[in-house]
Amino acid sequence: MIRKIISGNEAVALGVKLARVGVTGIYPITPQTTIIEKLAEMRAKGEIETEILRVESEHSAMAATFGAALGGVRAFTATASQGLLYMHEMVWWVAGSRVPVVMVVGTRAVGAPWNIWNEHTDFTSERDSGWIMAFASNPQEALDLTLQAFRISEDERVFLPMMVGMDGFILSHTKTNVLIPDQDQVDDFLPPRRQPYVIDPEDPIGMGNIFPPEGYMRLRESIDSALRNSEDVIKEIGREYNKKINPLGDYSTLNVSYKLEDADYAVVLMGAWAGDAMEAVDTLREKGIKIGMLRIRYLRPWSEKEIRSALKDKKAVLALDRSTSFGRGGGPLYVEIKSTISDVVPQIKGVVSGLGGVTVNKSDLVYIFNKFVEGLKDDVIWYYPKEVGKIELRTPRDIE
Amino acid sequence: MSLGLREILNKHNGILSGTSACPGCPENMAMRMLGMGLGKDVVLVVVAGCSSVIQGNAPYNAYNFPTVNVAFAAGPATAAGLARAYKQRGKNATVVVWAGDGGSADIGFASLSGAAERNDNILYLTVDNEAYMNSGGQRSGSTPFGAITTTTPEGKKENKKNLPLLMIAHNVPYVATASVGYPHDYIEKLKRAKQVEGFRYVHVLTPDPYGWLFDPSKTAEVAKLAVQTCYWPLFEYYNGKLNISPESLHCLDKRTRRPVRDFLSIQGRFKRLTEDQIKILEQYIDSVWEKLKSMLDNQ
Repeated sequence: MIRKIISGNEAVALGVKLARVGVTGIYPITPQTTIIEKLAEMRAKGEIETEILRVESEHSAMAATFGAALGGVRAFTATASQGLLYMHEMVWWVAGSRVPVVMVVGTRAVGAPWNIWNEHTDFTSERDSGWIMAFASNPQEALDLTLQAFRISEDERVFLPMMVGMDGFILSHTKTNVLIPDQDQVDDFLPPRRQPYVIDPEDPIGMGNIFPPEGYMRLRESIDSALRNSEDVIKEIGREYNKKINPLGDYSTLNVSYKLEDADYAVVLMGAWAGDAMEAVDTLREKGIKIGMLRIRYLRPWSEKEIRSALKDKKAVLALDRSTSFGRGGGPLYVEIKSTISDVVPQIKGVVSGLGGVTVNKSDLVYIFNKFVEGLKDDVIWYYPKEVGKIELRTPRDIE
Repeated sequence: MSLGLREILNKHNGILSGTSACPGCPENMAMRMLGMGLGKDVVLVVVAGCSSVIQGNAPYNAYNFPTVNVAFAAGPATAAGLARAYKQRGKNATVVVWAGDGGSADIGFASLSGAAERNDNILYLTVDNEAYMNSGGQRSGSTPFGAITTTTPEGKKENKKNLPLLMIAHNVPYVATASVGYPHDYIEKLKRAKQVEGFRYVHVLTPDPYGWLFDPSKTAEVAKLAVQTCYWPLFEYYNGKLNISPESLHCLDKRTRRPVRDFLSIQGRFKRLTEDQIKILEQYIDSVWEKLKSMLDNQ
């Protein structure tokens, strides 16, 4: 095990190497491009045996990865934004086929208009596709979750594809200290690939032809129950990961709590801004405000049990979304949180911010959390930081 | 079919009883011949189209090959992924993409072109019934000029997209055209394609009784007429050389071509063609043969 200062993208590429991936379907799109470039470079140097399929589109990237997975090898791809939207059809196809595949999404805004900066909407828009969906909050977690993703998706109790999100640029391109496990450790953690069926030339099975209505519906139900039942598997594998690979990480739960136990107020969010949010929580705590944070690490499965037990006795909960769910008011986390705890928590508010690379720093979060504790009039607010105040449409300041 | 074909058929029957194909279905014929040509160690990737339906409803499947069904534009890349996985596992397999003209010429063209450019080790088969027949016979890029389809009730105004020539332009190791009216020729080409390493393209004309509007008993006859009237050239492009197949050699000389009317008049989809429009179609056929002849002259 060694420590290195590397970016989120490098961490993921190392994860793919350590997982001994058989085939990678690659197509560039910012901000994940350096993942696939790193893989191509490692292949050229002979450091990995992964076959690199340099395809002509993201639709084909997912199709190639799917084909390789059906052919019986570990398969990986990475994408973002328009790329994820372009492969959307195949994202669903892979889940419907119950074939283990791992994908990393360097999250980014979705057009139009063009914007290449960070946001979570590309990732969250796949939340109904049948994939297991984890979201990292730092490069270390991006590596850890990538390695766990192979193990989880190839577990016979799951057999579903898994995607790992990480904030574009904020994580993908920022270098931090990362603990990189040795190959032996990973080999001990990650057994040879298992999958529900392999398409082999000598075995004439058919996959994906027309299913009559009831059979089709039963298959859909099996995906839903596999996803919901994956919760225990994820925790079990997480505990093993803590033990065998990263003793400093805590993967024994799906989601991560910070100072929640005695809190009256709770903030729920996902991704890299959790770091700033923890500092903002500390600032409010210094002033005697009992506030805590719940970081959603797994958007799917959505752990109703964990989330309810973490938030059930709070006076108010604020869901902070870096993505949109147009027409619903608030983002996907707000909608999910509302549906999970509205019977036990009297006040649930939502803030949408950080879209298209809008920078939300610690002082913004302190401001938002303070306003939330004081009591927000509107259920959902779109927050614009001071720096972009000139184009500000509506902020908590206007509510006064 | 001749006795010779029956012998090949016994080796590997690629299609079992109980398909959902329409009577007179040319794709069923093309699939049966695929088994005769390629034998075993074949993995089939079926792109959305008639053949997604013909194989029947799960849990049964009438295709006697390992079969992966995929979305429209996903065939070539899925097959490339499979081929790479077999390479890694040291398995011997011919991975075949089976796609209609819509899946090849239109919605899937970028992925077809990508796989050809990469020289992925797959065999790509276009079964061309010259329209989106599975959704009820709408115009495709491969529909010929003048043909009535459900989205061109007045007759198509543009010429057929020439996929085989486009694939030759991709500089791939093997390109061939075939017709279900000439099984020997088609099967021979499949056998040859199987021996080639890299990207192989076979385009087989499959006249559809319901879209082309002819009696289902006449599928083979129409498929023959397409070749005899030189509407559908049979050739093979291999080792950088073009070879006109024996069935089409007479087309090189315009005087020995059978009149295209013999092909048009047996179908309902051309019934609105005027004399002037038939001339446009004849000019298209001429232009294709001129291109082929200039390729022959320059090699």
